[in-house]
Amino acid sequence: MDILDEIKKDYVIDLMKKEKRPDDRGFLDYRPCTVEKGIFDSAEGSARVKLGKTQVVVGVKIDVGMPFKDRPEEGVLSTTAELLPLASPTFEPGPPDESAIELARIVDRGIRSSNALDLNSLFIEKDKVLMVFVDIYVLDHDGNLIDASALAAMAALLSARLPKYEDGHLIRTERNDNLKVTQKVVTCTFSKIDSHIVLDPGLDEEKAMSARLTLATTPEHVCAMQKGGSGAFTRDELMSLIDISFEKGNELRKLLD
Amino acid sequence: MEKPKLIIDGKRLDGRSLDEMRPLKIQAGVLNKADGSAYVEWGANKVLAAVYGPRECIPRHDASPYRAVIHCRYLMAPFSTLDEHGRSGPNRRSIEVSKVIKEVFENVVMTEKFPKTAIDIFIEVLQADGGTRCAGITAAAVALADAGIPMKDLPCAVAVGKIENEVAVDSGKLEDNYGDGDMPIAIAPRNNELLLLQMDGMFTKDELRKALELAFSVFPKINALQVEALRAHYAVKKDEVDRGD
Amino acid sequence: MMVIWMARIVVPGELLAGSPQRIEFAYVENGRTYSSVLGLFDEANPRVIPLEGPYMPAQYDIIVGIVNEVKFAGYNIDINSPYRGFLSAKDSRYEHKLGDVISAKIVEVDEVKNVDLEGARSLKDGEIIEISPAKIPRVIGKKNSMLDMIRDATKSEIFVGKNGRIWILGGNSALAVRTILKVEKEAHTTGLTERISDFLKQEVSK
Repeated sequence: MDILDEIKKDYVIDLMKKEKRPDDRGFLDYRPCTVEKGIFDSAEGSARVKLGKTQVVVGVKIDVGMPFKDRPEEGVLSTTAELLPLASPTFEPGPPDESAIELARIVDRGIRSSNALDLNSLFIEKDKVLMVFVDIYVLDHDGNLIDASALAAMAALLSARLPKYEDGHLIRTERNDNLKVTQKVVTCTFSKIDSHIVLDPGLDEEKAMSARLTLATTPEHVCAMQKGGSGAFTRDELMSLIDISFEKGNELRKLLD
Repeated sequence: MEKPKLIIDGKRLDGRSLDEMRPLKIQAGVLNKADGSAYVEWGANKVLAAVYGPRECIPRHDASPYRAVIHCRYLMAPFSTLDEHGRSGPNRRSIEVSKVIKEVFENVVMTEKFPKTAIDIFIEVLQADGGTRCAGITAAAVALADAGIPMKDLPCAVAVGKIENEVAVDSGKLEDNYGDGDMPIAIAPRNNELLLLQMDGMFTKDELRKALELAFSVFPKINALQVEALRAHYAVKKDEVDRGD
Repeated sequence: MMVIWMARIVVPGELLAGSPQRIEFAYVENGRTYSSVLGLFDEANPRVIPLEGPYMPAQYDIIVGIVNEVKFAGYNIDINSPYRGFLSAKDSRYEHKLGDVISAKIVEVDEVKNVDLEGARSLKDGEIIEISPAKIPRVIGKKNSMLDMIRDATKSEIFVGKNGRIWILGGNSALAVRTILKVEKEAHTTGLTERISDFLKQEVSK
């Protein structure tokens, strides 16, 4: 595995030197991307995102539960990710590893810090709040799971309908209001390959990259960032990627309408 | 608890100005058994870092024929905060923090010199006061140097926060809890490249630029204290050496 | 007579020269030379002497090893290093068992760090101490001077492995151990030979 990766890496780096990407995209182009909302009736909210050959589904389930002690008036948002073994030969069954945890936490951070899901709106009464579970299921891994997952999570939240609440219980067959979603947060993920930076890395590019940078944005603000990989970015690179993220973020947001 | 006012008359809760970092003390070589170690007190943070290796990689199938693999385990002790007794062992947060810290050191450690081996970094947060991952990175860099492991640089880190709509360097715990954002940054001092970059909160581009400026204004101080700690530890053994070695 | 020079403690990433230079334990990036370890930098005769670090096996080194696996074809030997040594049964005159202490010579280290040993000799009884391999040259001293001095004073049999392991048998072995640990601790100070000589005289006359 390791050895084949090294060969592919050289191939991708050589291409980059000729200003080309393996699938012939521009350095700052996304692959074709589709967003479908409401794909599962069983879940209160759901969505499927296809980004090139990467495919992610998200299910949103809503329960009634206790708030966190330090946030008594807020509902609970919980985001997890499963890198399903059917999505890649490198994904193994078992509890989430560091990559799955990081993926979920980046998506969670963007939604949470922008207050995209209004947690105060999930308060019912003392010691009783709505809990929103966002489960990210990666079905097919062809690179850039972060942007696909963040987009799918946002779409699933936008599609979610609250079950009717009666006497401390949810009546799941009756769904009424939408969840209160105040912002559309999207992420843009860049890979640094040799000295080049590309948006929306495919799997081959991810294997060749030294570092990765994700920026989550709303139209006005950057609301989460995460660098990954052993490589580094300069301050100038970061500043220019902020501009690009705002611009490309607006394009992604349109897919959520 | 009500959100306290984090800035009063331009001063922060502990009397600092926005561009001022908390007192930082670093000690190298504090443990006996570990190949390298360091202890950091930063504000009320108390963080211990230890390094073992390069040593045989366990589990074996993790090993690479090209380079040493770096393992990093960052953990907060169950008694490290004023909150209730924490759960010991890794949680989702600590697993993520361990991963991004590991990536900082993958950048600088010359892993290619030690194929098939593992270098283990252990970071134990004994008392937490905001910015523990940055304190951990700053300590682990000193511990790796103390272990004699070849590295391209001695990374250091600091977090910049957003409080009351102002950007402030080296967030403390209350600022972390009640502030509007936090951005931990680690760099390689020799070329100022960003090795760790995380952020949550709502920052405009200008605020991010300012946050970077603040971080870069304190990095030289942090780095100088790391170097000083290593020099002090070897002071007994320093100054002069005969050429005969 | 000892030649003395001032040395600067350098740390990883510290600039050593504005030009590219080939120095062990240093590296060149963008035309500049940086230290890659915590060490002492000799500016006059550019070199970096690491203060710490693992033992990296090298051809022709004599080491002190411990048998940690007995196989049909030979023995896996712990050599106080990230890598194990292998002593082929063919190349071994005696049979060894698990836990035996041996001295041996490294005959080959290949690119994936397989370490082949030869000329194994059992080191029976006695005791073993481990010190930082970076300090071994000081324990030996110039032309064996330090080691001879310790041997004379303690009447101990002492065998020093390049890998940081030292085997000591008989005589005042407790004093030998203490002296070697003192040398390790003060390895990079001036006047070490003299100080150790005084220390030994004092201790022996007690």
